[in-house]
Amino acid sequence: MKKILNLFLVALVCLAFNQTNVFASSHREAPLISNDPLADNTDLYAFRSPCDTNKIVLIANYIPFEHPAGGPNWYTFGSDIRYEIHIKNKTSTSGDDIIYRFMFNSINEDGTTFFNIRLGKQNLKTTYKLMRSTDGGANFSTIVNNGIVPPPNIGPRSIENGVVGLGASDYNSLAESAITTASTGEKVFCGPIDDPFFVDLGGAFDVGGFRKTGRDGLAKFNCHSIVIEVPVSTLQKDGKTTSQAANILDPDFVIGVYASASRQKITTFDTTGTGASGGASGAWVQVSRLGMPLTNEAVIPVGWKDKWNATSPTNDLQFASYFKNPELALYMDDSQFGGAVPGLASLRIQSSSLGAFDFRNGHKGLWPLKGSPAVAGTALDDAVFGNILLPDSVSPRAVDLLPIFYTGVPNVIPYQLATGKGGNPLAAGKPFINNFLPTLGDMLRLNMAVPPTPRNSADFSSLGIVQAAVLGLTDARFNTSTDIQDIPNMDGFPNGRRLEDDVTTIELQAVSGVALAAIGLWYDDYNGTGSPVTTDLVNVLSFNAGVTHNDTTFKSCFPYVQDPWRGFVGNSFSGTLPVTWVYFVANKSVKQVKLNWQVANQVNNDRYEIERGFDGSRFTKIGAVVSDNTLSSSYTFTDVAPSFTQANYYRIKEVDKDGKSSYSPIRKISFSEEGSIVLSPNPAHNILQVNAPGLNNLQVFIYDFAGRKVSSSMLTNGNGVISVSSFAKGLYTVIVESNRRKIMSGKVVVQ
Amino acid sequence: MREKILQFNFWKYCFIIPLGILFSIRANASSHREAPLISADPLADNTDLYAFRSPDKPNTVTIIANYIPFELPEGGPNYYTFGSDVHYEIHIKNKANTPADDITYRFTFKTVDEDSSTFFNIRLGKQNLKTTYTCEKSVAGGAFVAIVTNGVVPPPNIGPRSIDNGTVGLGQDYNAIMSNAIATATTSERVFCGPVDDPFFVDLAGAFDAGNFRPDGNSTNAPKDGLARFNCHTIALQIPISLLQKDGKTADQAENILDPDFVIGVWASASRMQIKTLNDDGAYSTSGPWVQVSRLGMPLTNEAVIPVGKKDEWNTKTPYSSNDLAFASYFKNPELALYMDDSKFGGAVPSLNALRIQSSSLGSFDFRNGHAGLYTLKGNAALDGTALSDAAYGTILLPDNASPRAVDLLPIFYTGVPNVKPYQLATGKNGNPLAEGKPFINNFLPTLGDMLRLNMAVPPTPRNSADFSSLGIVKAAVLGLTDSRFNGSTAIQDIPNMDGFPNGRRLEDDVTTIELQAVSGVALAAIGLWYDDYSGSGSPVTPQLVNVLSFSAGVTHNDTTFKAAFPYEQTPWRGYDHTTQPRF
Repeated sequence: MKKILNLFLVALVCLAFNQTNVFASSHREAPLISNDPLADNTDLYAFRSPCDTNKIVLIANYIPFEHPAGGPNWYTFGSDIRYEIHIKNKTSTSGDDIIYRFMFNSINEDGTTFFNIRLGKQNLKTTYKLMRSTDGGANFSTIVNNGIVPPPNIGPRSIENGVVGLGASDYNSLAESAITTASTGEKVFCGPIDDPFFVDLGGAFDVGGFRKTGRDGLAKFNCHSIVIEVPVSTLQKDGKTTSQAANILDPDFVIGVYASASRQKITTFDTTGTGASGGASGAWVQVSRLGMPLTNEAVIPVGWKDKWNATSPTNDLQFASYFKNPELALYMDDSQFGGAVPGLASLRIQSSSLGAFDFRNGHKGLWPLKGSPAVAGTALDDAVFGNILLPDSVSPRAVDLLPIFYTGVPNVIPYQLATGKGGNPLAAGKPFINNFLPTLGDMLRLNMAVPPTPRNSADFSSLGIVQAAVLGLTDARFNTSTDIQDIPNMDGFPNGRRLEDDVTTIELQAVSGVALAAIGLWYDDYNGTGSPVTTDLVNVLSFNAGVTHNDTTFKSCFPYVQDPWRGFVGNSFSGTLPVTWVYFVANKSVKQVKLNWQVANQVNNDRYEIERGFDGSRFTKIGAVVSDNTLSSSYTFTDVAPSFTQANYYRIKEVDKDGKSSYSPIRKISFSEEGSIVLSPNPAHNILQVNAPGLNNLQVFIYDFAGRKVSSSMLTNGNGVISVSSFAKGLYTVIVESNRRKIMSGKVVVQ
Repeated sequence: MREKILQFNFWKYCFIIPLGILFSIRANASSHREAPLISADPLADNTDLYAFRSPDKPNTVTIIANYIPFELPEGGPNYYTFGSDVHYEIHIKNKANTPADDITYRFTFKTVDEDSSTFFNIRLGKQNLKTTYTCEKSVAGGAFVAIVTNGVVPPPNIGPRSIDNGTVGLGQDYNAIMSNAIATATTSERVFCGPVDDPFFVDLAGAFDAGNFRPDGNSTNAPKDGLARFNCHTIALQIPISLLQKDGKTADQAENILDPDFVIGVWASASRMQIKTLNDDGAYSTSGPWVQVSRLGMPLTNEAVIPVGKKDEWNTKTPYSSNDLAFASYFKNPELALYMDDSKFGGAVPSLNALRIQSSSLGSFDFRNGHAGLYTLKGNAALDGTALSDAAYGTILLPDNASPRAVDLLPIFYTGVPNVKPYQLATGKNGNPLAEGKPFINNFLPTLGDMLRLNMAVPPTPRNSADFSSLGIVKAAVLGLTDSRFNGSTAIQDIPNMDGFPNGRRLEDDVTTIELQAVSGVALAAIGLWYDDYSGSGSPVTPQLVNVLSFSAGVTHNDTTFKAAFPYEQTPWRGYDHTTQPRF
């Protein structure tokens, strides 16, 4: 006991006195989570299942920019990370009402190879345990044990090949068989997928260089996904199903969702790399979180991003100023930096809506109405919702952006469509959203009572609620009454988030005031009469951020996300390179012509057909040699009846077993003087003359009797003189090559 | 004095006490751990190391260490930069008789936000995550002395608005920013640290799908450069040879182009402090001694030689104190050799059909895994006077009768190759591989550890020479064996590409192909241990050898050019509008 105490004291002193470097927010490195990809929460989705409408699909994605061919150590979930999905369904509780916690574990089935998958064995093979808490995190029970994470989609040899790989029928079968059902009824999938997000990264972050035709910076990248499909009755605070909802905007059916990743406070590196020391210890610290998309990319400034990641949504009011006067709004405002960001030129915030209201940063917005009889009984009445929405005279977006991100939007005046309002935004209008769950923190809020829009419906739109608003304002099916109607895409972002939703465009439109316009706070160019769908509004509605859809499809049912991109695409090369002609030579031999050729990469090869012609273009088969089917071989064929009067042209046709064929280079042999290569004089004394009429760029090599190369020269125009004065007397071999292939060889005596 | 000793011991004690006594520690043991650790720590991930005699400044050697793999050019808003809590180091040995680094360069980085009120990386002339560095140098184990302070790391090449635009961006030309960032150290080295096009090239998908290689030129499926259009962060040094040579000599003072006194061994590393503590506000602190988390000497060692179960351990070791001998078995009987051997898994990897290891070289020597190799000659008088005699180099090269590649792969990676029989080209050997042949390499620095070894006396091959080849020493060997300019004598000649991998490593060198050729026995063939199909007469350039020489691992060159002058690597791909090319 005393010993332990002593160690404790020494350790404390050590902790206190070791050199410590602090990376604080003002002098720190790149925002931390960028350097911790395994814990980097990239996206969160929550939508009512189009396939099983009694269920809600929750998807939390992690690990950005996974290269499909990123081996040999492909990506997988971290074993020392808590991945969690948090759900709130009441405001009366202080913390999470439901928590799903995923913990992963990886093993190597064959630590002796550098391959990830080999001979049916998989390394970094990952399984998971899913635990659930319904009491604010005090107690967790395990609802999935030994869940399977499918392997990376490396390629056909690793996945389908039954000898060297796993022998699966295809990758999709591995993904499907990894789907499991929790003991509490949720359907679960954890594994690599195509990253469903899409955005023009290169344009967006080049100081707002948005462009009409953007480039999806996430195209052909994978990520790791946690997907759960939960019965509505499990999520609804009173255990109700959707059929028990009072209407499709029943406020009791709102849930708020966020996802996170946490690590233990202290990480100690293993100095041996063997796992013998090191590890993680201490309390769990949240290192990444995600509720609404793009909050931490494009709302929270650099100086606060790390803190945002460490903060629970219950403490989000400290960041509220970035929503009340968002940085992005500066670029849609000609009195600020609007002129410097032409990519956003079609988005201009109302500076004089209805001739009165200025929503640009630092301006009053609806503050002039504060306390007036006009707002009595509306959401803007302090008696109703306090002073959150109209806190002061310089927080114009507390009335729209702040509630979208922090409380959800209630089905209360003025948050109804302008339809039926008769020009007064503070009148009752057409309901279109109710995802109000006023916890004052960033969450993705979904009213589960709203029916899902079929994905194959002509009305389905990636613009989500923005499109629902357009339909409710302009479509004759919906714009004739203030009744609650099931307007298509009311189940879209920001009422939850579907995989298809173009959240970048929607959020940019929202920053430019489109939600204000929808409830009757029209753009500056509306003069009070005629259609409020003015040029400014049309500009906003027709704007997009450059990439409007994912680079592949989605699955129609669980897990909805698509299989990961495969690292190796296409057919495997199997040594069947077209036969490589190592050489092909033709030589005169008395009254015959000897053909010799050598090939490499001889695979799947059936025979060689020898062809001869007399004009270099038309050929006739004069014989055949059967392939010996070794990888590389030499062959000989003798033409016993060449022409002695005209030039003989030869080529070899290589024929594969499957009938494919290729040809060798063409060789020419002439028994007449013309066209042959002449070496003279022979014997030679000081010089050797080479005459090769009509042939250019010949390489001439001379070898001594021992086979050593003694001379190498180039004949550019068919004639050349080679000095042999320094050669020892004796017999030499002269080889003439064209294009690195031997076309002639002869013997010369040097005297 | 006594107090000081006590103090010393106290500190030692600090590091020995397992913190597990205080906290419950979740140790991820090697059989139950996550993805090999460095994959999850990109900032400290050392991706490549190059060392070559500078083609435009032949009195200098350029050493390049790259970090942070797969940097997406448009990967904003938090573009990549060096870690502020990482020690990036380049280690140089120039003597075999000292126990550790003879020269160490240490780089530390610091990042500031010039305008933390924006989410953009660059806006209105201000840059966030703006990074500067200090380079320190230690010679002969002495104290580290700063030789560059406040070195500039160029910003990410985000796009025309961030870089060129003078109103919203920095208003500069990226190449000008890059050249201006080249510093000269107080000790006269030139230094560049910053983002560049990742110069490495490899068909990742082909290589790692259980060996699904797609050789260059095949008509089935064109190879894909898995690193195409990705950037990385580079640390580049251009160092006068006289600072690297152990006696301060210049290249002119070399006895010949294979002077053994001009060999250096180079490796790079990244280290972190042992303990990282997360704060609740998003910041964190680090403490404790520095722990090496990544290292790189020879390319691909930890990708394709060391098996999964040992990769993390490899990263924590220095190549000194015989540490690497614990891994020697993976070189003596390499896994890759199993796939070039029909008695093992050769038949299961058809894409490597062209590579078959000698099983009966000269009718007698079997170099396939588990076979005797040259061990049958052990103790034979024929070995006297060669590197293979125990009297010359001990038992490293012929340790036992089941370590066939201790004779070629092990020295290539662990000691360098001496200019001693039998490590000379077959030219002039008249059929006897143990006879004196034509010298072609001498990068021998027998420290028994994985380093990139370069003989600085070898002249650089001009990059525009017709003889320049990305096959490095393999090409030099081919020329020395077959080209009449070089195969007429056993004299030392400046054969083109003798300055290429594995004698150092040039940016252009196709190390994946060279290493696969080496595993298939091409170095053995070069010194006269021909392939099985050589009958003993006629040309030893047999079909099997031709197959090996014409094999490629797929991608044979980078996806862009190199600069003609330091830092040689190309400007990083621009996020906004870089051209595209399939990566898999």
